[in-house]
Amino acid sequence: MSATAALDGVSKKYGRATAVQPTTLELRAGVVGLLGPNGAGKTTMLRLLSTALPPTKGRIMVTGFDVTESHANRVEARRRLGYCPQEVTFPRGMTAFGFLDYVAVLKEWKATGARHAEVRRVLDLVDLGERATMKVSRLSGGQRRRLAIAQSLLGTPDLLILDEPTTGLDPEQRASLRSLLSDLAGTVLISTHQTEDVSTLCDRVLVIDAGAIRFDGTVPELLGTAAGRVHLGPTAAVGAVQTWKTGTGLVRSVGGQPAPDSCVVDPSVEDAYLLLRSQERTRQGVT
Amino acid sequence: MSWHVDDRVWEAYVGGRLDSAAEASVDTHVAGCTDCRAAARGYVPSATAAVVWAGVRETITAPRSPAPLRALQRLGVRGDDLVVVSAADSLLVPWAVAVGFAVACACLVGLAGLSPVNQDAAFLALAPLVPVLAVVASYDAFDPLREVVAPTPYSKLRLALLRATASLAVALPATAAIGLVVPGMDDLAFVWLAPSLGLTLGALVLLTWWEAPVAGALVTSLWVSAVVVARTSGTVDALTAPPVQVAFAATGVVLAAALVLRTSTLRLQGGDL
Repeated sequence: MSATAALDGVSKKYGRATAVQPTTLELRAGVVGLLGPNGAGKTTMLRLLSTALPPTKGRIMVTGFDVTESHANRVEARRRLGYCPQEVTFPRGMTAFGFLDYVAVLKEWKATGARHAEVRRVLDLVDLGERATMKVSRLSGGQRRRLAIAQSLLGTPDLLILDEPTTGLDPEQRASLRSLLSDLAGTVLISTHQTEDVSTLCDRVLVIDAGAIRFDGTVPELLGTAAGRVHLGPTAAVGAVQTWKTGTGLVRSVGGQPAPDSCVVDPSVEDAYLLLRSQERTRQGVT
Repeated sequence: MSWHVDDRVWEAYVGGRLDSAAEASVDTHVAGCTDCRAAARGYVPSATAAVVWAGVRETITAPRSPAPLRALQRLGVRGDDLVVVSAADSLLVPWAVAVGFAVACACLVGLAGLSPVNQDAAFLALAPLVPVLAVVASYDAFDPLREVVAPTPYSKLRLALLRATASLAVALPATAAIGLVVPGMDDLAFVWLAPSLGLTLGALVLLTWWEAPVAGALVTSLWVSAVVVARTSGTVDALTAPPVQVAFAATGVVLAAALVLRTSTLRLQGGDL
């Protein structure tokens, strides 16, 4: 199976600040989760892959086209990708349908009938079919978020890039979005703070910190890094990365030396993520 | 309801065999009778109903273009171009810049009590910049949807030019009107057009190197400096002489060629072409 997208020694600097360190990776069909703290370089990574941002160094391949090589290649790649930024400032006065119609034109849907049919299709996909004629300004936050996602689905792209897609959605809407994304055939790359999204949706997880990929593997492999390191006991583990009292009154400790009478419990993606972050901070000498 | 549409009438209605009075009677009755509306479903082939509902949905969901845009469509402007132009917010800033700057231009030259020579210089310094600023403001660096627009295959130059055309449709008549309306300016009413062509194309060429605000500032500084130098050495008549006007127009042609050359190979700073 060939890669839908690939970074080859790609780095990005803003002035002297390095947002993405030299990175090489390939993305294939399936849902890939990009997990990392604020400022880790997630959005920059997504913008590089979306062709919205040129890299400082390196080569980026998207749907078989070297987008760092020529404008013509970028246009070809853009015909095959969908991108939903973290925040979308909607034009005032536009209806949900009008907004998607505008983006559909920018995605080269020229014939009015076919374009309108495609707009209605993606509106239905995100459960906004009944809100088509509503002004965007009158939609709720969750509905606007779904509208932003809808524009990225126009044309059923081979590579779908979503920056924090579940932010602002209620649990039902999140579940609905997961269902929609899991049904897509191509490659979906999502950045998220929600470890729950990763555990329930992603075939592959990338953990990024300080502009570098610190982990690349499946969810079970990520969980494996925390196996035997999460405990439940009457008191907190010494030197634990995180501890909290659970509803049963016992203390859950991530990492550290377990207290006597503690038992090992199955780690969650969040536990594994916290441990990875802790290792990274130790490596960087941050306490 | 004292009566309902019976099977015989329904069949005649669906088959189009009722006279117009009877058909209107059924229409009126069905509009107010829930039972008959429910019964009607049984007489309409599902395929026909699907087509009709698709048409209804198409009609009510598709945004209706404003009258000027419908007029443009009748004149042959492509529907997808009109969708771009009618994305109102993207034009709000350029239109505001064009009209605002044109009005400021009028206030300065008409109301500031300048001497005729300085009035000419002020008008000639500002008027050609109205289209420049409208075009620069049209560029997607100011687009609230820039993040969404940037990774689409649509030509950003075409997008900028479509918006710029819509902006210029406001800016050019407004600026020309100021030249005609302000007393003593009528001799300069149109001579700013040739330098404006060159400056506007120059700004577009510079956009292939720099962000929109930088390109706008560079062109503005260059032109204002040229007018100041001309004024310092006498009057601005040197800039309005026919040979100079021809030179401005020729420069515009050269810059248009440069723009085509640059845009065929490079990306604009405000967003990829």
